[in-house]
Amino acid sequence: MSFSKHKRSTGLVGATAPLLAACEGPQSALDPAGAAADLIARLWWPTLLVATLVTLLVLSLLAVAVLRARRKQTAMPLNARQSRNLVIAGGIILPLAATIPFALSSFSIGRVIDAPLPDDAMTVEVIGKQWWWEVHYLDEAGERIATTANEIHIPVGEPVRFLLKSDNVIHSFWVPNLKGKTDMMPGRTNVTSVTADEPGVYRGQCAEYCGTQHALMAFLLVAEEPEAFDAWLEGQRQPASAPQTQAQVDGQQVFMQAGCAGCHAIRGTSASGDEGPDLTHLASRRTLAGATVPNRTGHLGGWITDPQHVKPGNKMPPSELTPEELTTLLGYLEGLE
Amino acid sequence: MTRERPVAPYAVTDSPEETARLERTWHSPGGLLGWFTHVNQRMIGKRFIITAFCFFLLAGILGILIRLQLAGPEQQLLGPELYNQFFTMHGTVMMFFFAIPVMEGFAIYFVPLMVGTRDMAFPRLNAFGYYVYLIGGIVLFGSLLLSMAPNAGWFNYVPLSSKLYSPGYGVDVWTTMITFIEVSALTAAVELIVTTLRMRAPGMSLNRMPLFVWAALVMSFMIVFAMPAVIVSSTLLILDRLVDTQFFIVESGGEPLLWQHLFWYFGHPEVYIILVPALGMISTIIITFTRRPIYGYTALVLSVVAIGFVSFGLWVHHMFTTGLPQLGMSFFTAASATIAIPSGVQIFCWIASLWGAKIRFATPMLWVLGFFAIFVIGGLTGVMVASIPFDTQVHDTFFLVAHFHYVLIGGAVFPLIGATYYWWPKITDRMMSETAGKWSFWLAFIGFNVTFFPMHQLGLEGMPRRIYTYVEEMGWGDLNLLATIGSLVLAAGFGVTLINAVWSVFRDRRAEPNPWGAPTLEWAADSPPASYNFRHIPMVESRWPLWDWEKAGERAVVTGLRNDRREVVLTSILDAKPVGVQVLPEPTIWPFVSALAASMGFIGIIFHPVFFVIAFFLVAFTLVAWFWPRRPWRDD
Amino acid sequence: MRVVQGIDVAEMTRFNPDRRAPLWWGILGLITIESAVVLTFCVSYMYLAAYADVWPPSGESAPPMLWPSINLGLLMLSSLTMFLAGQAINRGNKRGLAIGVTASVLLATAVLVLRSLELMAYEFSWKDHAYGSIVWTISGFHYVHVTSIVFGSAVVAILAWRGYFTRQRQIGVVVDTNYWYFVCFAWIPFYLLLYWGPRVYGQ
Repeated sequence: MSFSKHKRSTGLVGATAPLLAACEGPQSALDPAGAAADLIARLWWPTLLVATLVTLLVLSLLAVAVLRARRKQTAMPLNARQSRNLVIAGGIILPLAATIPFALSSFSIGRVIDAPLPDDAMTVEVIGKQWWWEVHYLDEAGERIATTANEIHIPVGEPVRFLLKSDNVIHSFWVPNLKGKTDMMPGRTNVTSVTADEPGVYRGQCAEYCGTQHALMAFLLVAEEPEAFDAWLEGQRQPASAPQTQAQVDGQQVFMQAGCAGCHAIRGTSASGDEGPDLTHLASRRTLAGATVPNRTGHLGGWITDPQHVKPGNKMPPSELTPEELTTLLGYLEGLE
Repeated sequence: MTRERPVAPYAVTDSPEETARLERTWHSPGGLLGWFTHVNQRMIGKRFIITAFCFFLLAGILGILIRLQLAGPEQQLLGPELYNQFFTMHGTVMMFFFAIPVMEGFAIYFVPLMVGTRDMAFPRLNAFGYYVYLIGGIVLFGSLLLSMAPNAGWFNYVPLSSKLYSPGYGVDVWTTMITFIEVSALTAAVELIVTTLRMRAPGMSLNRMPLFVWAALVMSFMIVFAMPAVIVSSTLLILDRLVDTQFFIVESGGEPLLWQHLFWYFGHPEVYIILVPALGMISTIIITFTRRPIYGYTALVLSVVAIGFVSFGLWVHHMFTTGLPQLGMSFFTAASATIAIPSGVQIFCWIASLWGAKIRFATPMLWVLGFFAIFVIGGLTGVMVASIPFDTQVHDTFFLVAHFHYVLIGGAVFPLIGATYYWWPKITDRMMSETAGKWSFWLAFIGFNVTFFPMHQLGLEGMPRRIYTYVEEMGWGDLNLLATIGSLVLAAGFGVTLINAVWSVFRDRRAEPNPWGAPTLEWAADSPPASYNFRHIPMVESRWPLWDWEKAGERAVVTGLRNDRREVVLTSILDAKPVGVQVLPEPTIWPFVSALAASMGFIGIIFHPVFFVIAFFLVAFTLVAWFWPRRPWRDD
Repeated sequence: MRVVQGIDVAEMTRFNPDRRAPLWWGILGLITIESAVVLTFCVSYMYLAAYADVWPPSGESAPPMLWPSINLGLLMLSSLTMFLAGQAINRGNKRGLAIGVTASVLLATAVLVLRSLELMAYEFSWKDHAYGSIVWTISGFHYVHVTSIVFGSAVVAILAWRGYFTRQRQIGVVVDTNYWYFVCFAWIPFYLLLYWGPRVYGQ
């Protein structure tokens, strides 16, 4: 069965009920853009085919069995030998024939997916938080060189090692277009590797129930050409640029005085809170609040003013800023490229 | 001393006085206070069934609310707090307070009738198990009304369910009420095992036992070996929450994964605990509606037993994404796939039995046929998720939601509704409407598939479980709307059966003792059965006693049981030879008082550990009263 | 339909003092369930130990051996007195039964006293670490069980002194004894795990 990567697939419902047009979202396991997800999707299609055939076979046999003597005067049962053969064929041989190839191919796919990475692969540490993702880039020595949140960039075509951790409850790291999920267990470090074969922006989402806002705990994974990635990482390594205009200076002051710095860090300033995401390069990110809303001025203002409206139950308190303060604060934050 | 069967058996005639005396002996006292003293198995079984269906209704309403919230992106109907409570309650109640108790209820009601005896082995314990269940369920739903319902999922993973991340009483209520239901399930399981093994009608050797009785026996053994794991895990959790033990606190050397191992060591067999009795119901219905012996009795029994054994070796397949070693997990893939064989053998034995039969297409049979269509799909997706790579993509997504609803609704609820239609005339002496039954089936069948089939696709498109909302850009809105519409149709389908059942009670359409022409002993009793079940304990010579009797025109019974006290025959385990007579206890209030004392302790420890000590001694005293011999001490 | 007599059970015994009695099987069921609980506790202990860096945690030493070993002896002895009590009533000796059960109750009460003293001397609490939690929980679990057999057998002893039990009417004694054996023998895996485990494992 051939299946070309990144083909728009119609999937299960589409395959069986053409009336239901299925549109692939940005987070589909059937739209693979990485080797691991591709192998699993390749396992899925023949599996679906076999499962459909088995279902049709069993139900057809059932229909024949039930309807056979419907209009007849007397029953037309199988004799003991025919019955025995039917049970052996359907109850033992059919399940074995269907499951053994499936189990063997999933073992071999599993071995390929979890093959060890080269030692010099780039390493990203992701820590699950309630309800966002803390991201650190590590150098060869394992030292953190850049910190960001809810948006992970990786170079296309290179395997990247992810160290998955949690310091609170269990989360699960999952980018369906690239690979299956791996849990983030408190007290342990799980390792997974991700390779993106095509540039693009993929969405990942927490897949282990982790409390109130489990639903809106997502992130973006941006796969880009190595040069673009290197430039991005170099930018993320730098401390925040100093405020350029008087308005931005005022905005920074609002940030420090309104209590934002108690939870958020901006490298290069005195703000060093570690409860919430690092905002050093906030303006370079595409989304806010765990990939819930786009990072635009209006959304950022709304988020700061009333975060509980955007994402009820999240841990960011509402702020009481005058409109002027909010405007200057937004000006400052939007300068954090 | 057993007297041998006389050469020329003499006919048994019953004087009305003796029958009335027997009736008085087994009579359950009237009045409100009397209600709490009942111990007869049919009373307790009926209460289990009715209570369980009430919880099914309530948890079903929660399910509909969940579906309404998810009907479109970014809906505001339920906030995250309420949604999380609802899905936790939906899962917990459906699994613990509906599925297990309703299966136990049918087993408690019908196993003694099907094996031809007059009550369960421990009637008072039976009553105790019911009160514990009832109180547990009421407290759990009470917590929802007080907005302090558990909200950490039915699987209640630590550390999310620890005091730090789930403050408040919700998880405390969950752990204590789960312990309640465990106690209730374990008492029922032990009783069903002892009743089945020791109190069968003379002649009903193990290989003549009705298939539903076999299924109930396997279910009971599974409960006995699975529940202790969750007893321990919920005890450790409640200790962590109430007295600050450190079992699941990573910083102090605790292990969150220990919870998952213990929970799934129980949780996987749990699914089969629900499924296995349903398989017995299917065999029962197929036999009656094909009007001939089933093909492959031995194969059916062995495959149910095999399912019971294998189900204890599958638990890690719920943990494929936790980062356990790959090689060890592969074993569980293989083990999970092997369950396809006993399931396949069952399906094909039934197909062989149905082949070319003159089938009576009454409502119970329709639900069984619906079972086939749904369960085959659920079984196949079950094999799929046994694959580690595939599971990493669909684990904790709506694909899984689709899968287990196919297995549990298709595999257990459809046969259950079929069995309800089937046994309704026996329980109530009324027939339900066939027309309404068929409407109910088709609505439920179509509604079910419209609800849950699209969820496979949603899961593959990346929609995780347990999310209260999703952003519009995900493109999941259309299929979710379809699923919500389907869920309303499904609910309407079940609603028609509810109305049908209630309506039948007011409509005077009396049932005969054996309206379907079934071969098993429960149909030899009156409809509804007399308080003593059988005027005489029957004797059995094959798997199909009623069909034998019809052919022979006569039947043999046991004589010599006294009518002035509750006597039943004890028989040997394998071949059901009479070995003695057991005198069963009379109605009493003590099981109820004992259940109250236990409840006080369980609820009390949420607030202070001292209640454990108080309740321990209170329960001990009530048990003494319960077992204290009556004066004058009985002599024979 | 003609109803004919098959078997007459009028003269069968109504006393089923042994395996014929449903209660005997019911207690066996209870013991099976509780054995599974004991096993699960043991597995949990081993799981926590296997994933710990040091077991017991640094700063703690394995609990002293002397008193638990004496407890083990007392529990075994109490099983023997229970056994002898059962033998006595089998011969119809009501007084022997009463003395045997009372002796067992006293022996188990002594175990409770010794256990209380031992637990009070522990230097770690269940709040300190997972090791403390599992040791205290298993100890508490078994302590509660010994308490319950003391309580239950005390009731049996009272009935025995009042002459309730006879050679036929002794199912209460039989099942009480079986449960007694279970509680005493359940101490063996716990004893090996809690006291010998850290010494063997820690080497």
